[in-house]
Order: sequence, then C-alpha cells, then structure tokens
Amino acid sequence: MDTTVADTEVTRAEGQGTRAGAAVEKPEMPAAYKGLGYHELNAMLNLYGPNGEIQFEADREAAHQYFLQHVNNNTVFFHDLEEKLDYLVKNQYYERETLDQYTMNFIRELYNRAYKKKFRFETFLGAFKFYTSYTLKTFDGNRFLERYEDRVCMVALHLARGDEKLALQMVDEIIEGRFQPATPTFLNAGKKQRGELVSCFLLRIEDNMESIGRSINSALQLSKRGGGVAFALTNIREVGAPIKQIENQSSGVIPVMKLLEDSFSYANQLGARQGAGAVYLHAHHPDIYRFLDTKRENADEKIRIKTLSLGVVIPDITFELAKKDEDMYLFSPYDVERVYGMPFSDVSVTEKYYEMVDDSRIKKTKIKAREFFQTLAEIQFESGYPYIMFEDTVNRENPIDGKIIMSNLCSEILQVSQPTTYHDDLSYDQTGKDISCNLGSLNIAKAMDSPDFGLTIETAIRSLSAVSDMSNITSVPSIARGNDQSHAIGLGQMNLHGYLARERVHYGSEEGLDFTNIYFYSVVYHAVRASNLLSIQTGQTFGGFEKSKYASGEFFDKYTDQEWVPQTEKVAELFKNIHIPTQDDWRELKASVMEHGIYNQNLQAVPPTGSISYINNSTSSIHPVASKIEIRKEGKLGRVYYPAPYLTNDNLEYYQDAYELGYEKVIDTYAAATQHVDQGLSLTLFFKDTATTRDINRAQIYAWKKGIKTIYYIRLRQLALEGTEVDNCVSCML
Amino acid sequence: MTEKVKLLSHVEAINWNRIQDDKDVDVWNRLVNNFWLPEKIPLSNDVQSWATLTPDEQQLTMRVFTGLTLLDTIQGTVGAVSLIPDAITPHEEAVYTNIAFMESVHAKSYSSIFSTLASTKEIDEAFRWSTENVNLQKKAQIVMDYYQGDDPLKRKVASTLLESFLFYSGFYLPMYWSSRAKLTNTADLIRLIIRDEAVHGYYIGYKFQKGLEGLSEERKQEIKDYTFELLFELYENEVQYTHDLYDSVGLAEDVKKFLHYNANKALMNLGYEAMFPASVTDVNPAILSALSPNADENHDFFSGSGSSYVIGKAVNTEDDDWDF
Repeated sequence: MDTTVADTEVTRAEGQGTRAGAAVEKPEMPAAYKGLGYHELNAMLNLYGPNGEIQFEADREAAHQYFLQHVNNNTVFFHDLEEKLDYLVKNQYYERETLDQYTMNFIRELYNRAYKKKFRFETFLGAFKFYTSYTLKTFDGNRFLERYEDRVCMVALHLARGDEKLALQMVDEIIEGRFQPATPTFLNAGKKQRGELVSCFLLRIEDNMESIGRSINSALQLSKRGGGVAFALTNIREVGAPIKQIENQSSGVIPVMKLLEDSFSYANQLGARQGAGAVYLHAHHPDIYRFLDTKRENADEKIRIKTLSLGVVIPDITFELAKKDEDMYLFSPYDVERVYGMPFSDVSVTEKYYEMVDDSRIKKTKIKAREFFQTLAEIQFESGYPYIMFEDTVNRENPIDGKIIMSNLCSEILQVSQPTTYHDDLSYDQTGKDISCNLGSLNIAKAMDSPDFGLTIETAIRSLSAVSDMSNITSVPSIARGNDQSHAIGLGQMNLHGYLARERVHYGSEEGLDFTNIYFYSVVYHAVRASNLLSIQTGQTFGGFEKSKYASGEFFDKYTDQEWVPQTEKVAELFKNIHIPTQDDWRELKASVMEHGIYNQNLQAVPPTGSISYINNSTSSIHPVASKIEIRKEGKLGRVYYPAPYLTNDNLEYYQDAYELGYEKVIDTYAAATQHVDQGLSLTLFFKDTATTRDINRAQIYAWKKGIKTIYYIRLRQLALEGTEVDNCVSCML
Repeated sequence: MTEKVKLLSHVEAINWNRIQDDKDVDVWNRLVNNFWLPEKIPLSNDVQSWATLTPDEQQLTMRVFTGLTLLDTIQGTVGAVSLIPDAITPHEEAVYTNIAFMESVHAKSYSSIFSTLASTKEIDEAFRWSTENVNLQKKAQIVMDYYQGDDPLKRKVASTLLESFLFYSGFYLPMYWSSRAKLTNTADLIRLIIRDEAVHGYYIGYKFQKGLEGLSEERKQEIKDYTFELLFELYENEVQYTHDLYDSVGLAEDVKKFLHYNANKALMNLGYEAMFPASVTDVNPAILSALSPNADENHDFFSGSGSSYVIGKAVNTEDDDWDF
C-alpha cells in the first residue's frame, strides 16, 4: 500500500506529461511555444493563432510548464504517506485530532482511492489558483506540502468526523468534481493554522452605541477568521437625528461605514483572503442618498468608500410609487422605533407606508421615487454597486418564521435574524440571532453525470451540515447562537452555462430554461430529503421548525398540487438516467418532514463562485460566461486567462457571452431556478457601455416582476474605440 | 521653456449642435465617459505586494513612474495645449483641453502611487534620477522642441509619437508586474491611463491625417520623411533609456520588442506603414494580451476596483417602463 502512494509521489516528479489535461501521451510542443514561460503561454489564449483559431493547446502547455517549471521543483518530497502525515502533524501543519479519528489503514485506503482517480487540472488557471491560494505551504511560504488529492482527502477526513463511509463518499464527490466545498472550507479543513470553515456572516446593528461598538469588534473578529461579513445599517438613526432628545446630533450611517471599512482592511485571514465586508441600507432610510454617494467617482475623500460593498433593501411600495411617478418618503429610524416599539428594519415599510406618512410623530423627508431608481443606476454604472434585495419578494418566499432584513456580501444568503440587547458594560443582555452560512456548490455538468444524483446531493448536504456542526464562533455570541439553532447551509450550483453548451443547448433558450427548472426542482427534493434524513438520524430539527412552512406542510403545496416535468424533448433526454421526483415522492417526503422535521433551517443558496469554479473547471454560478476567454484579475493571481469549460473551436456558438445575451435571458434563467431555492442566488447583470441608466432600471423592474430576490453586481464592458484595439486579441472581438 | 506657447488669437463660442467632424463627438464622449480620478483605486492594497519586490525592482518601478510623470506633465501643460491653435474644428479644441486635463490627472496619479508605496526619501531620489538621466531628459527635450516649433503637422507627429510610442517603455513594467500578480491595483490605474492614451494617440493621429489631406505630394513626402527621422531619433534614444532602466532586472530585450511594436502602432495612427518587421515585434504574449484597452477584465471586486467602470448616461425612465 505504501508503495502505491510513494509511486504516485515519484511519478509526479517525472510523469508530468499528462498533468495539463487531455492527452494521455505528451503532445508535441509546437515551435511557437518553445522557450515561453507559463504566464506567456497562458496569455496566448487571448491571441488568435495563425489560422484564426483560439489556442487552447497553449493553455494546456502553460499548465504543463507550470508544473515543470514551478510546482514540481517546489514540492517537498516524502517517501510515503505515513512519513508525510507524521511530519505534517509534528510540525503543526495538520490537526492531529482530525487524523486520530481514523485508523492508518483507512487513511491509506482513502488516499489510494483519491490518487487512483488521476485528477488533472484542465486549465492553467485551475492549477495556478489551487497552488497559489489553497494548497498547504511551508510556513515560509516557499514550498508546497500538498497536491490536490491531499487537500481533498484532508477536507473529507475533517468533515466526516470519523465516519469512514462518509469520508469515502466525500472524496468521491469532490475529486470527481461533482461537489466543491466553498473556499473557506476547502482552504482550511484539516490545517492546524487556519481560519474558520464558514463562508459568510450577516449581522444586525441596532440604534445604540453598544451595538455599533460590538459590531466593529465583530467585524475584526470575523474578518480575522475569514469569510465575508455584512451588516444591516437600516436601524441606525439618520444624520441630524436627536441624541438624548437633543436635535441635530447624530452623524448618520457614513461614519459607521468608515469605521467598518477600516476594520476590514486591518484584519485578513492570515493574508489568505482579504477582509471583505458589505453594508445594507433600506431604501426608505433618510441617509440613502448619502449612502449611495460614497461610491461616486468624484466623492470627497472623507466620505468615499473604496472597498466596502453596498446593498440597498427595496420594498414593493417603492416600485408602486415609481410607477405612479410619486414622491417616496424616507422615515427616521429613530422615530419609527419609538412609534412601533421595534427596530425600523423589522417594520414592513410596504404595509405601514401610508400609516407612517400620516403619522406626525415620525420625521420624514421626501425624494422622487423615479429619481431614486435613476440615481441607483448611475452609481451602478460608475462602481458596480449597490446590490439590491427585494424585501417583500424575499419575505413572501421565506419558509421560516421571522423577517429577513438584509443579505450578505454576495447577496445569496437570506435568513431571518433577531436583535441583540446589551448592558451598559457592553455585556449581553439578550443575545439575538445573527446569521452565518456554510457554502459549497455542485458542478451541474458533473452532477448530471453522477452515477447517483440523489447521493451526490445528500453527501453535499452532509458535508455542509458538518461545517455548521463544527463551527462555534464564541467571539461573536449572536453568531454562535444563530448557527447553533439554525444549522443553516447553502448548497450552490455552478457550471450551468458550461453544461448547456456541452449539451449544445443555448443559454436562456426554451430548452435552457426548461432544464434549469427541472434541475433545480430535482435538487430541492433531494436537499430536503437529505435534511430530513439528518433529522431522523440525530433526532434534532432546527430551532423554530414548528413555526415554519415545512412543519405546516405549506412549503410542499406547489410540489404536491402540480406536476413538474420537462416541457421539451431535449431536457427529457438529458434526464433519461436521472429520476425526476414525482408528486408521490413529494407526498411521501412531506409526511416524513412533518413527522420528523428537517435539520437545516436553510438549505440552498447559489453563490457567485469565483475561485472554486476555476479549480473545478466550471463556469461561474448559473451565469452566462463573461467572455469565451475570460480575463481574470485578482490581487493574488494578477491577470490570467481562462477558457470557458468544454469550449472548442467547433462549438463557439453556444458560448454567447453575458453582454451579448442581454439581461432578459439571464433573469429568465434565474427566475426558473429561484422558485426552487429557499435562499437567494447571486445574480450579476451585464451591460455594454452603450447602455443607459434607463436600461439598468428596466432590468431591475423586469427582475422584480419575475420574482428575482436579489441583484448582485452590475458589470460593464467597454470595448476599445475603433482604431485603438490590439490586433488579433480574442477577447476584443465578438 | 521660456518661450511662450502659442495661444489662439480669436475664439468663437463652440456650438455642439453643428458638428463638422463626427469623430470629435465620438472621442469627446468617450473621454468624458472615461473620466476617472486616482482616488478610486485602492492603491494601498499593493503595499504588501510592494514589499515582495527586490530593492532593484522597487528602484526600477520608481524610476519608470518618474519618467512617465515627466512625459505626462509635458503633454498636459505643453503638448495638448500647443495643439489647440492648430485645431481644424472648434470641437477639436475642446477635445484637446480634455486631453490636457486628463494628462494632468495621469501625472498626479503617479504621485498617488509614490506616496502610497514609498517613503519621501525614495520618492525624492527617484525624481532626482529623472532629472539627471541623460536619455530621459533628451527625450523630453526633443519633444519640447517640436512643440515649440512652427509646423502644426510636425507638432501632431511629435504628440502622437509621445502618446503612442514614448509612454510604452514605461507602461511595460506595470503590465509585466500584473501578469505576475504584483502591484495589481497599480496596474488597474495604469490600465486606465493606457485606456486614455490609446484614445489620445489615435485621435491626434487622425487629426494629423486630416491635416495632410489636400497637401502637395512634395509636402506630404517632407512630413513623412520628417516623421520617420524623428521616430528614429526617438527610438535610438529610447533604446538607451530602456537599457538604463531595465538592465538591472534583465528585461531590456523584451522591452525593446515592445518598443518596436508600439513604434509601428504609432505610425499606423499617423497613417504610415510599419517601420519594424514582424520578426522583432513578437512581444511577450502576457504583455500584449494585457495591453488591450478594452475594459473587459472580470475582476475580483474584493481585491480591487477594476478598470472597467465608466460614467453612465442618465436617461429618465418612462411610464411604459413601469408597466406592471
């Protein structure tokens, strides 16, 4: 057994010929590639070859050269697995506790299984990203201690917590590329020196100094441990609001944003991830224009927000007012809280709007509703921000008791929260519930190829639940309590466009929408089923299950009352080996859920999947590709080129990019998926620079009408002025 | 620099509703949409990366940027302004004032980079180097001389060569760093500058070609000979300058290919054929790919602000849009 591992280790030093990808024997290197470094080879992807073809071979050669020139020379060599694990544990690289849950025989078996899969990175960026950002390195940062298989095994061993069967299943799912844990989990699991496994955190800020102070502290603590952090600013009193009844005292939300921004810059996760944060504000908060203006191109340095992400919470009433081209009133959170006896964020503005307008105790200002939307679009043009959360849509679709007041850094987490109160000495009076979420995504193409679709999803749900079970963030008690009660997870999806193109289906076409609907329909069934199984096994449900639409059965109505089947032959064909849940399946599941409950308060959330989709050779999330050859720019990678998965010189027509497709097809696709997802989906909208603010507004209206829950970034593409472009560049031509 | 830059003696109100050359409007719109200020880029995110450069590399980077500062200063305070009296259309004058202003923004951006990454002492030393480096000073002098000469066409040639050729020995470096994951936010800023310069060089070259129209063959030949002569003179000097800068890190040969490539590009902007054969313009693909002035990077918002955002066109929504 030892020799197998040792063999593989040795082969690594010599047999890199196949590393880069496709071919088994080492391809002849074209003369044009000789003497070029891997960055140069990778860049050739963006330059057409002599016959006008995209040079995929250059990228494969780049991956190959990356191993030859860099990875192999810088990998620490061990004779066998035992020597390696021994060394890594002794030198404080691996957690002993993780390995101690298993016998050495089993660990060996697991590693062998992983290595036998002959994993290969399909692209240069996949390999480069993995070795730059994920793999374990010596403390001086110079040498690699893991290869891909090692990372996968450690993740599985860590998450399975001694359950051998589960560990084997996880290895299968991850290394075959069907399931990919999110960055914090994949990066950290099993390492001794590490951040948290959790992806993101969402916290409320209440309208008092104790809460603001605690929030700054939470920003530091959570940033230090990794994951994005979002705060709701909606409850903070506006500029000029009274303090201790003295008028014109408060300075509003901007200074709080400044404090948060600096906190995030200060703390990062051992340098692995930059601290990143978002803040959400309700559209009817009086500081809304000030909030948006922080992202203006010519904003004064004192109020400019550079790295903090912004989100705006918009209720239905704002749309109604804009439709009638009326004024929209902004309400002082300070007064609203006094009148209603609850924080502004917890009051439904749509419901109470006219009541509040008529209430003389509430101070208000007014702006034009259409002007508000136009300003939103202007800022989005200049900066890509803010994100948008459609408050009433989100809450209508929420199966859980309580109100959702905000989203997170990637706008896919939508969970209920409860406020925290503090004593004068800053200790906790009533610990509320704040939100954390553990993410991981399925590669749709690989999941569709899975020998057991249901098991793939079940394993993913178990892996994600394990992260929740193993997390206990004591430095922020409201987060710890929230996680403890909710076991919330977010199963995501990626590679939709890659899969559709591979199957020669156009993104956003009738067949494309049909597939998206049936796929997500099947996923939600297995996700709920898996969570129900966990409940049966552990005898636990999430806190507040009794008050949820799962317990009442209401959640299941749309699945038991109506039949969901493919509408096109093509999609029926694609699902010929996968069982599509029937109404009877749902009835059975409903009964079991109503009897035993489900373990996770939240199950699905579709994140934007940046980094992990490169490693996993996927297109991001369920978006269309940004470009056939994507130019990726990141702080740790520099400028790198990434070919869309399954793209060849023969199937280019299926890779129409997001800017060309237009927003309707993207929104239609998301709408088909949204109806089956309990939380949100990061939806980026793509515009050419010839668009106007009106186009962006139209897209927002369309999205809201279609039941979309959140909008993430607005991305713009400006092509070079005719006559100034670089010749022969792939991304420059359409 | 004591001689006065020529000023217009007569000014008419510019009527943007009477357009003589559509290119003026196109370029004006493009430049206005592309307006930016260095404050938008989180340069301080590069501080850690800066620390990973060797002292030689840091010094090189500082010097490259002082060189670029000098060129942008010339172009902002003298170059673009000196073109105004020669403008064929009144709108062209307006475009030059925009160009002049953005050049000053560029010059200031380098200072933002300096003050973020380096100490005052290092900055002062780099500026001292720039005033003492013979080749850099010579390059500045050659261009300045032509700006002060009498021939409007020759001024445009000098200006185009500056915008499309002389900047690039400097631009090479941040593109190189960015392909190696160093100073990526600085590269974002430089990409914004390249985006501007590409348009400037193209536009001035275009106006030059307009100016040539209707001239005698003899005069055309004279201008062409002059162009190639000037380019060659600048090129000779640029090669020396490149060695001064890049020898310490062994990149000089690679940068020279890049010079050839951009010399050809400058000539193309002026409507002339290439001077260097393809065999010596095979620029490092990583640099060439990065050079595209398209704003199409799919950047990671969490590590930078990207270089693709522009000022949008605000258009009111109509009742139809709110049909629900």
